[in-house]
Amino acid sequence: MSAPVIALAIAGVVVLATIATALLAVRRLPSDPTQLVVGGRSLGAVLLWILLAGEVYTSFTFLGAAGWAYSYGAPAFYILAYGTCGYILGYFLLPAIRRAGAEGGFLTGPDYFAGTYGSNGLGMLVALVQAALVIPYVTLQLTGLQIIIRDAGYGRVEGTVAASIAFIVIAAFVFTAGLRGTAWASLVKDALVLVAVLFAGIAIPTRFFGSPAGLFTHLLAAHRAMLTIPGGAAPHGMNWFISTVLLSAIGFYTGPHSIAAAYAARSDDALRRNAIYLPVYQLVLLLMFFAGFSALLLAPGLHGPAADQSFLLVVRTYYPAWIMGIVAGAGALAALLPASALLLAAGSVVTKNLIPQYFARLGDATRQTAAIRGAILGIAVLALILWLTAKTTLVELLLVYYAGMTQLAPGLILGALRMRTDATAIACGILAGLAGAIYWSLPGRAPWGVNGGFAALALNLAVIALVTTARARRGRGGLS
Amino acid sequence: MVSLRVVRFVLAAVPFAMLTVAIPFVNRIEPRVGGLPLLLFWIALWVATTPVFLGIVYRLESRR
Repeated sequence: MSAPVIALAIAGVVVLATIATALLAVRRLPSDPTQLVVGGRSLGAVLLWILLAGEVYTSFTFLGAAGWAYSYGAPAFYILAYGTCGYILGYFLLPAIRRAGAEGGFLTGPDYFAGTYGSNGLGMLVALVQAALVIPYVTLQLTGLQIIIRDAGYGRVEGTVAASIAFIVIAAFVFTAGLRGTAWASLVKDALVLVAVLFAGIAIPTRFFGSPAGLFTHLLAAHRAMLTIPGGAAPHGMNWFISTVLLSAIGFYTGPHSIAAAYAARSDDALRRNAIYLPVYQLVLLLMFFAGFSALLLAPGLHGPAADQSFLLVVRTYYPAWIMGIVAGAGALAALLPASALLLAAGSVVTKNLIPQYFARLGDATRQTAAIRGAILGIAVLALILWLTAKTTLVELLLVYYAGMTQLAPGLILGALRMRTDATAIACGILAGLAGAIYWSLPGRAPWGVNGGFAALALNLAVIALVTTARARRGRGGLS
Repeated sequence: MVSLRVVRFVLAAVPFAMLTVAIPFVNRIEPRVGGLPLLLFWIALWVATTPVFLGIVYRLESRR
């Protein structure tokens, strides 16, 4: 058999075996919305750990961390720093979200906003933001998947068809098994990714440079300036670095899947204990930097999105096909499972919060569950069509995903702190923040070289403060 | 006496600050630690020790 056939076959088996394992582990398929979307609010430490760590082990980490290190050098270290800052915030924030969810019977992120601020309109606005932003995120995962398939096929497979099939399989899987299924499959995925990362970050530098420390000796000789901020290739100064860490940490839990993970916890304690130890799990990102830096020395000259393939190219060139197959399988899962968690969360957001009257009128749990399942498929098909027709432009939208989703953070955090503000102020803040995120998304537009999303977040908070004070003053002069 | 709340807040704020506002002061290559440039070592160090800080916060909370 030729190398591409072996590598692709192994990658395919890895993906299918993971899904089969998860289906066996779930045993009883969910039949009400709470079971489907938040795992019956009964997830224990292990599955919760996997869900909360999900963001760390995505294809962005797998390919992106190495690609960023390859292209920019030190600015890539923000990826290591922000997760830890996110977990520090999460230690305090997640239990508050879980309690609100359990008391109010919330299923979705918009439920939290609607319930906490007593406004269905705010819930609909948040639902619209989340649903709209999920689609570029999912399409980006599809592009990541296609890169992996192309590399596993040694450049002889185009990948569009294979990526589409894999995506339909994963959508059908989450449709069937719900949140618990995703969590179980992610458990297998994380184990595989961990093996692949240890290989990439330790075995590759050791083979070519004697040790990871030796890698840095070579790297300092060739690319010394890349190892401090601002690094190389594009302007990423100190203000950018700090503001990006802050922005990403504050926005760490605003994605619809992250809020669902907090609801799924059995107890506050499970969330706190997880937040304590999750930074350790994140340290493996260090190894992906090693992999990216190794690739820079071994396969120089890749630019732009091609840099994301850098470490896969090293694996393909210097290692046997079966290793490429396992690495590609792990990478494919790292693209598919986070996408499945987002599809699930977005499906519930659309049915429950965009068309709340319809959802309420459905009445019984069985029909509501069916409606959510239908929405999951609908969003999956929509994302697939958009991906097939407009790939490149959508990838740029990912920058808007993070900058935009973070605009939900003030409402989430102020609500948890029980600060005095109201739905109107939060809604105005979100709208101002989104406008800012879009305007400042182009590089060089934001002041002082900060991340555009951070500037938008500052505007968001300023608008909330302004509207809250204005309304409080008018309130005092009026009836109340 | 300083309240327990303040102590917990400060404990959690230490690694957070070390990974954000402290970065300009360690944006250097030398001294290298274990082969890593100082900047990368510093970030890895604080990621690795965050569990210690949060662990103490947790203990203080559960003793209440």
